[in-house]
Formats: sequence, C-alpha cells, structure tokens
Amino acid sequence: MLLSILASIALFIIDSRSDYFFPFHSVLSTIVYPIQASASMPNDIASWMKGYFRDRKQLQEKNAVLEITNLLNHVRIQKMKALERENVSLRELLGSSFYLHERVLVAELLAIDLDPFSQQVIIDKGRRSGVFAGQPVLDATGVMGQVIEVTPFASRVILLVDPSHGIPVQLNRTGLRAVATGKGLAGILQLKHLPHNADVQKGDLLVTSGLGGLFPAGYPVGRIASIYLPQGEAFAEIIVNPAAKMDLSSEVLLVFPALRQQKTVKSYNLFR
Amino acid sequence: MTNTESAHGMGVIIITIVFAMLLMMLPISDQFRPFRPEFVLMVLIYWVMALPCRVGVGSAWIVGVLMDALMGVTLGISALSYALVIFFTARFYLQLRQYPTWQQALIISMLVLVVHIVAMVMSSQTRHLYFWLPVLSSMMIWPINYALLRNIRRYFHVK
Repeated sequence: MLLSILASIALFIIDSRSDYFFPFHSVLSTIVYPIQASASMPNDIASWMKGYFRDRKQLQEKNAVLEITNLLNHVRIQKMKALERENVSLRELLGSSFYLHERVLVAELLAIDLDPFSQQVIIDKGRRSGVFAGQPVLDATGVMGQVIEVTPFASRVILLVDPSHGIPVQLNRTGLRAVATGKGLAGILQLKHLPHNADVQKGDLLVTSGLGGLFPAGYPVGRIASIYLPQGEAFAEIIVNPAAKMDLSSEVLLVFPALRQQKTVKSYNLFR
Repeated sequence: MTNTESAHGMGVIIITIVFAMLLMMLPISDQFRPFRPEFVLMVLIYWVMALPCRVGVGSAWIVGVLMDALMGVTLGISALSYALVIFFTARFYLQLRQYPTWQQALIISMLVLVVHIVAMVMSSQTRHLYFWLPVLSSMMIWPINYALLRNIRRYFHVK
C-alpha cells in the first residue's frame, strides 16, 4: 500500500513537471490507444450506416449545394491570391516578412469522452504523419487548439477553451494585442488584463497575432461576445465566443508552419 | 484447480475491466456526461470483494495508471485514489460481503467520494458542482453492477 502511494506521488510529481517523463507517458498512451479507438467504434459505425443508407435524391441535392459553394470558394480564392500578392509586395516595401504557403494535413477526431473537466480531444494522426507537439489545429471556421502529445498513431489536442490554455490574439479592427484564455466548461474564452479604456467593441473579430511563434498569424479565433467593466477593478471582463465549432467538428486541419519543413503524408498547399 | 483454469479466470476479470474502461469513454450527450458513474472503480471493488486473493492494491494501481493515460489527466491521480480505495475494500471485504446491497451502495458512494477528493486535491483546477455527481450515480448503479458481475463470476466459475 505504502509502495503504491509513494509510486503514485512520484509519478504525479514527475509527470506534472513534464518533459522528463514524456517518453513513458507517450508509451502508455500508445498502449491505451486501442481501447480509445474501440470506444469510438459505435459512433463510426453509426455514421457509416447513415452514409450508406442515404437515398439518391438527398445525395443529388447535397452535391448541387456543394458545387455552388465550391464555385463561390474558387472565386474567393482568386481574389485572395490577388490580395495576397498585393500584401506581400506592400510588406516588402515596409521591410517586414509575411509567411506564405503553410501546409495542412486533415485529421479526424476520435468520438470518445475524456475527462469532462479538461477540454481535450484525440485525433487519428500521429508521429507517423509528421505531427509534432505544439502544432496548431484548425477547423473550417477558426483555430481549435494545439497538439500537446504525440504517439505514433494518434495525438492529443488541447482546445482553446481549456482553462490552462492561452493564445496570443489581435483585434482585427484596431490591431490591439491580447491573450485569450479558456474558461473550461462554458465553452467560451476571456481576454484578461485589458484596461477599462481599451478600444474593444462587441462583435469585434479576434485573429491570431502570430506572436509566440506557435500559431500562424491571421487565423480567426473568435468574436467579442460581451464586455463588462466592474467598478473598482483594474481590468475589464471581456468574454469571447470561439470561432471554431469545438463540439461539432469531426474533421480538423493540422497546420505545418512554413518555416518548419516536416515529412508530410498527403498534405497539400492551402494557397497553391 | 489447474493452471489453465486460473488463467481463464484472470481473462474474465481483465475483460470486465476493459469493458468498464470502454463505458467510461463512450460518447454520450453533454447533459448526461457529468452523471457518468465510476464504472472501472466499481468493477475493481467487486472483484476485490469477491476474490481478494486475485485482485489487490497492486492491480488497482496499474488500472489507475492506465485510466490516467486514457483520460488524459496527470499520471498518478487515479492510481493513488484507486489504490487507496481498494486498500480499504480489501481490509473490510468480509464485512462488505455481509451487508445488504443498498448498504453496500452507500459505502460505494463514500469510496467514490474518496476518489474524487483525492482527484480534487491533486489537480489544481477549480471544480464545478457537477464534479460530485458521479458519487450519486455510482450509488444508483451499484446494485445492477453487483448482480451482473456476480452472474458473470458464477457463469465462468472464476475463483
């Protein structure tokens, strides 16, 4: 009994002081991965059945809708290319750099519940696909989080809404920089340490600022949902709704920053 | 009892524990998530009560480490709390066996409470009121768990 108490406390201390124990933790995660994968199986089967038994008319309708969105997106990308070129030349004039050609990799979430009090998910791509710890994770609408642990076949992603996660952001309208941290269960973010007179309005878009070097600049993080100025407090309480659909996305994008060339499997260019 | 028989019994115990782990991870809707009972702990408690010579503090510790890895929390939290609870169960298993099921359920809820207090002390995050709901739901589920596992044990002659 005493032995197991000592062993658990030792494990706990070493693991929370992190890095020393990293290999052991990832070995354990690899061992338990089959259990996690099989727990996600009922959900996979259900979605496969749903796809298999869909009738022809529905598929045709969906196809038509998708073709239109595809066309629209193509038009937008054309405009985007022109803007990008303009942006690069402007930045060259200013003498600052702009990172282009980030590569992405598509991964799927495992449909399983983890500890309900920490906001993490497991994705089905790991070291074999070139995923690395600290890699930014996006979905179709915004930034979702970052990879915190990599095993050969899967990796663990911490979401923006986890209370222990912070992301450097910038107000798109004014360029004001701040850090957005998670609030846990509620699925919202907050901006800490902004003074009462900061130029922030409800509905302002927040994008990644690229400071800190982890997240690429310019991806949407969320919109300001409410601003509360408590009397007698030094800082405003600003709540942000995340742009990414944290509980709805089943597919995510892993971004490979342009400077870091990794061996990539089935990855392709965002802006050809 | 031959060697193969004992190996077979161990297989049944391991399968029930793995199945309980699956139940802990199975996705359910957000309203019910906080109510999820501590399946793995209850299965462990049953096996310790029934066969204290086969399952003990050591195996509870190993299962606890695996649970920590599964759930993605800092290693050692479940390991310590499971080992602690199984230590008490193993000490008082004779009394526990004598109690009627509802009284056992009350004691199970106390044991789950111990697990959650250990988890609260060891992880620094502030905890919501929801955090204590498994104490109630585990108490409700215990009679079913007990009856089910007893039938499994008798059917497979695990000794």
